[in-house]
Amino acid sequence: MPASDRLKDLVNQMPEPDGGGTYAGMDEQKVARAQTVVAELLKSGRAGVIGLIDLLVEPGKGDDVKPHFALHLLAVRAGMPGHGKARAEFARAVASQLTADRPKAVKKYLIEQLQVAGGKEVVAALGRALFDEELCDVAARALAAIGDGAAEQLLAALPKVKGKGRLSIVKKLAFLRAEGAGKAFRNALTDDDPNVRIAAAWGIARIADASAADALLDCAEARKGWERINQTDACMVLAENLAAAGNKPAAAAIYARLRKTRTDDSERHIRAAAARGLAAVQ
Amino acid sequence: MPQRPGGLSRRGFLKSAAAAGAATIVPSHVLGGRGRTAPSDTITAGLIGCGGQGGEDLRTYVEAAGTKYKVLAACDVDARRLYGVKKKFGPQADLYADWRRVIERRDIDVVSIATPPHWHALMCIAAAQAGKDILCEKPMTRFIAEGRAVVKAVKRYGRVFQIGTGGRFGAYNSPLSRSIHKIMRSGLLTKCPGVWIKKGGFPVQRYCGKVNLQPQPIPEHLNWDMYCGPSPLRPYHPHRFGWSHRYYWDYEGGGLADFAQHYMDPFQWIYGKDDTSPVEIEAVAPPQHPEACGVWAWVELTYADGMTLVLDGDKWGPRYDRKKARHVRETDLDEEARKKLKALPDPEPLLKFPEAVKTRKNSGGHVEAAHRAVTIAHLANIAIRTGRKI
Repeated sequence: MPASDRLKDLVNQMPEPDGGGTYAGMDEQKVARAQTVVAELLKSGRAGVIGLIDLLVEPGKGDDVKPHFALHLLAVRAGMPGHGKARAEFARAVASQLTADRPKAVKKYLIEQLQVAGGKEVVAALGRALFDEELCDVAARALAAIGDGAAEQLLAALPKVKGKGRLSIVKKLAFLRAEGAGKAFRNALTDDDPNVRIAAAWGIARIADASAADALLDCAEARKGWERINQTDACMVLAENLAAAGNKPAAAAIYARLRKTRTDDSERHIRAAAARGLAAVQ
Repeated sequence: MPQRPGGLSRRGFLKSAAAAGAATIVPSHVLGGRGRTAPSDTITAGLIGCGGQGGEDLRTYVEAAGTKYKVLAACDVDARRLYGVKKKFGPQADLYADWRRVIERRDIDVVSIATPPHWHALMCIAAAQAGKDILCEKPMTRFIAEGRAVVKAVKRYGRVFQIGTGGRFGAYNSPLSRSIHKIMRSGLLTKCPGVWIKKGGFPVQRYCGKVNLQPQPIPEHLNWDMYCGPSPLRPYHPHRFGWSHRYYWDYEGGGLADFAQHYMDPFQWIYGKDDTSPVEIEAVAPPQHPEACGVWAWVELTYADGMTLVLDGDKWGPRYDRKKARHVRETDLDEEARKKLKALPDPEPLLKFPEAVKTRKNSGGHVEAAHRAVTIAHLANIAIRTGRKI
């Protein structure tokens, strides 16, 4: 259902950018108008949110400066403390449009607003967006920002998502220190994509998976260049996290192996760092 | 005991060095060990980002400190910017489109990072992982958490880091500044009455982004995907590239992010705040656009010890008028504390980058200090963008 005339008139009250296309000329009056528009939109509930979304267009297809700005301000306002119910209503309304017939660029923008104001109530919708190649990365970012309930969505999607999206998912599982992702990380250590292998190594380090230490060290030693640099760092971080968790023997084993095996002059900083680490846990 | 810049006391340094083994107190490359150039000789450098600031940090923090450098590798996402590199830095400079190839080079001692800020953290971390010392342009980072990750990586591998601003070196030369620094680091002042106000010097309106950018064809000489990197992949527009990247949240954070590190660097040293951050932040600003940086009036930041820091844009909106600027003075201490203060050593001189590389100590603009300085800008921008008191 297209936006009503009343809604269009309301959104049209948002400030115009200046001649240079910026809001450098915001004055008290323009600020007050923006705040009034947003307050009215907040009161308008689901219908108002969807009507506002109806006014969005993909870049290059028209002028949606005002609804674009209004939607973000609505997300920021709804996300403020004390707006719990309104925030959830806003988020659900936005999330409901991810499966509607809308341009991908508009959906990306909607997901960015869910990153601002979304909560557990929208993680399922974002989880479904993971299967869309164009939306996967932005959906994974939003899930990582929301946190609560995100790991389950990412874990469920990982076996089924192909292409670049897999990297986004593995990275965000690592970021979340997702319990239950250990097997996924270990499997991904031998992925065809070196970037996925690097992300998996980081994940193992983040969750301090002692059982994967030897596999990680083997991988790092077998690689060269960029991948070796990154996976070796993952070994160091794994040792640090194990030590912090109280598993000093496991940490010591990693440090000892790094100190022993990194003999080239180009990796003397690794030997030195491993020596310091070993000294700290012994 | 007063802490040297970077927070590592002499006792702490010796303890960790002894624990790590005597061989690491004087790294072999300091003595010109196998295959390595002694730091008193020419530093070999990799340059990432060959735009306006490309190479400037090498000139400012290496050459001006009396040490020679040689650029062995240079990289830029814009092929046009590589055209003049060999003429500027010599025929030995290999040219790359992918900065990871620079990081992989085993013959490079120092990486100089002069890209837009959204790439800085990942590049600094990678450089540290690869055993390089680092010169990084300001602002150091785009987000607070990535700054902490940079600090951890630099410390993990014992790298030397220098931020691309040096106001604290000048501050050290001021007797008043040294006096305040000594008071603040002594631990004798339990409640700080200081109020430091930075008014003006932020191009508030000039650094506003455009809100109606329409997609343009990507120029053939530009790897736009690599340029965006960790930031969202948006349709190309020339205003998002080059100088004006500063005007967009994706890459920087407006005039506040671009200039704050310059002003906060001396402030932090003078007021002994290299290892801490404000705990309360309040901003006056209009609602902010999601992509384009906007105007702001002022930001008040308060530290746990009571110190107040104010950033007043002096261009838009009301001016800050809650408190007056006020230095910390010896008379803020009671007589007994003043006696104790006199017995303490004066602040140690700040090390220049080549000396820090040689001795493996913190350079003046070290990583923790730089992270804390830019964190002030990030906290201010968070308060501005959320419209909340933090």
